[in-house]
Amino acid sequence: MRILRRDFLKLAAAAAAAARLAPAALAALKDVLQARDAPRVIWLQGAGCDGCAVSLLNSINYASVDDLLVNTLDVRFQNNVMAAAGDLAVGAAEAARVQPGYILVVEGAIPTGASGKYCRLWPGLSMADGLPLYAANAAYIIALGTCASYGGVSGGAPNPTTAKGVSQVIGNDPRLINVPGCPANPDWLVGTITYLLTNNQVPPLDANRRPLLYFGRRVHDDCFNRHKLCGQPVLAGQLSSDGCMEYLGCKGKKTYSDCPMRRWNSSGPGQFGVNWCIGARSPCLGCVNPTFPDGMSPFYVYSPTP
Amino acid sequence: MPTTITIDPLTRIEGHLDIEVTVDTVQGQPQVVSARSGGSMFRGFELILVGRDPRDAGIYTQRICGVCPVPHAMAACLTLDHAFGVTPPDNGRILRNLVLGANYIDSHLLHFYHLSVLDYIRTSGPPLDRPPWLPRYDVGDMVGSPTADTLAQHYVSALQMRRKAHQMGALFGGKLPHVGSFVVGGCTEIATAEKITAFRSLLTDIRNFITDVYLPDALLLASLFPNYYQLGRGPGNLLAFGAFDLNASGTSKLFPAGRYTDSASGSFDAAQILEQVTYSWYTDASGNKNPAQGVTQPYADKPAGYSWCKAPRYANKPHELGPLARMWLCGEYNHGISAMDRIVARAREAKKLADAMDGWLNGLVPGAASYAPSSIPQQATAMGLTEAPRGGLGHWMDITNSHISRYQVVTPSAWNASPQDNLSQLGPIEAGLMGVPVADTTQPIEVIRVVHSFDPCMACAVHVIRPGERVGESRVLIRGGVTGAQKV
Repeated sequence: MRILRRDFLKLAAAAAAAARLAPAALAALKDVLQARDAPRVIWLQGAGCDGCAVSLLNSINYASVDDLLVNTLDVRFQNNVMAAAGDLAVGAAEAARVQPGYILVVEGAIPTGASGKYCRLWPGLSMADGLPLYAANAAYIIALGTCASYGGVSGGAPNPTTAKGVSQVIGNDPRLINVPGCPANPDWLVGTITYLLTNNQVPPLDANRRPLLYFGRRVHDDCFNRHKLCGQPVLAGQLSSDGCMEYLGCKGKKTYSDCPMRRWNSSGPGQFGVNWCIGARSPCLGCVNPTFPDGMSPFYVYSPTP
Repeated sequence: MPTTITIDPLTRIEGHLDIEVTVDTVQGQPQVVSARSGGSMFRGFELILVGRDPRDAGIYTQRICGVCPVPHAMAACLTLDHAFGVTPPDNGRILRNLVLGANYIDSHLLHFYHLSVLDYIRTSGPPLDRPPWLPRYDVGDMVGSPTADTLAQHYVSALQMRRKAHQMGALFGGKLPHVGSFVVGGCTEIATAEKITAFRSLLTDIRNFITDVYLPDALLLASLFPNYYQLGRGPGNLLAFGAFDLNASGTSKLFPAGRYTDSASGSFDAAQILEQVTYSWYTDASGNKNPAQGVTQPYADKPAGYSWCKAPRYANKPHELGPLARMWLCGEYNHGISAMDRIVARAREAKKLADAMDGWLNGLVPGAASYAPSSIPQQATAMGLTEAPRGGLGHWMDITNSHISRYQVVTPSAWNASPQDNLSQLGPIEAGLMGVPVADTTQPIEVIRVVHSFDPCMACAVHVIRPGERVGESRVLIRGGVTGAQKV
């Protein structure tokens, strides 16, 4: 059952092609993965729901999660899957931290109220203190999910823990990449890591430090609901019906992500997902936006006329 | 000499839970003589929900937990259906059940293979011979090769199967985690013939895996660790709120509501639920109330407090919630109440549910409506009860001037991981830990096994706490683990 490295390379090639990487980049990826030890990853979780970690478990399009965990990445600390607990687990994280050059993945917001006491990584280290500590030696920092990127639902009004995104705590660090979403699509994370290993630099980012590759096009512009029925715009009269849901609360016009093309819960290597929010005849929630959820809600509106 | 072990927090659960046990030698056997389950906190979601549009409740409450989002969507939608006075069409009810079922199967596979099995095996070769599976504990009774190798291989194949379960749920949910299609009045997705076929194809693969791999592995584990049929019993009382409505009125369910209290079966009435706070960091005014009248006033410096969880009790007695309770109360499991019975009952439940889901697909009318429009009431009070993979889940909502004016969520882990109550009765995990032998206090794997058997989901318990000294010592969403044995 163990997946061989050459299988990963095959998958990664398909994945990279899907991610529109150039052939030269593919060759570089192969070199990178064959020449080096697996990239070390330290995954810290703040105020969140574990949903982005669970979403990564669904990875299959670019690389399967078993391949990522077993063959590709060297995950030194991840609370949900690691075998160790307590001192043993903390020791593993600390040993990894003192060797610079790892990828730091941050999931969940950083509660900064009460001097960081709302969220603690382990005895003696709050998330608010742990983030800069673990960021110091990181080659790259990926804020995974909207909570880590911008505060997200964890920072929803009245934001009682003063929860913040990574950039609000450590600033717009040049090593930082925001990969938002509630949760983040696993392809966005795997594709971003692939880009980092291939190019050894952060990918082109938008003003909110999101990779343009995934967050460069407006949902509404690529949405199949926009010009249904012979190219004529059709407005949905109610939820669960065909047509554009702009007047039912859909945030597709305010949201930049490749959900319409990529979709969710891919069925296999190189496969787009089986569905997405609008595909299920429900409105886009705008969950990748920095103002999610407060600026994106109410999510449903019952006024099916302009 | 008694030894106090603080496991704060455990890894391989969802969210944070701190367990403190004291181990002493009784009749020559070192064992747990006292236990405290210090649950995380006061949940901010209830604050965050106040003042919002009621229709958004399912969007927010799903974000309480990325592992069990669908039960929160279901509970919110059932609450809203009642409040808005709308009955979903049959297709809507069935689609909700199918997506919830997909979440159960995902969660049960995840629990057994990815959260629990590592407590029992000692692998020395691929694929689990590297981080994040190293470093690991090495305890005398752990099973080695070749059984460990087989289970490790199944760990990998179960990753693929649980992914398929999410893929299956996304067909009708839109995506997972965090579905988009659950709304008041039904499900926005339409059951086309094509989607029904795709769902059944995935379900067939998963059913085969459950029958051929998961259930045999659970029974194998039970045969290798029969002593865990004698450990982790807890209060011995079981409770289910009921889930998976089989008719529009909800009078028929796959898992009926019920209880088993003091060795006798009984009926379930939500009015009998009271939340106690004697040992919880809340004012006394917050205690002895039904969630429908729930009040939550933090009191961080409460001298007797040791948990941010309230202590929900039914008829003033602690009850265990979860797959064992459901399977017991529907009459399909009666072997016993223990750590290993929980593991075996969970696997049997996965099979029962997956088989039932195949039948539900036949009840779908391809292309038929699955959603019924409705409007927001000015005022309403409503309750939505269902079951998460790890036990009964309840949402209680008040609507005032068409906005949420009060929202209370009581999760199954709030019951199972609860502290002592007003009568000083232990919570189920606490009671389950009493008498558990601990061979090596630096590697208290026996304690971790018993706690894991309850599948606690503490991500469901969190997000807001009040500043306070104890907060700094106890709080965390997820992380760390056994801090090691501290001699007292």
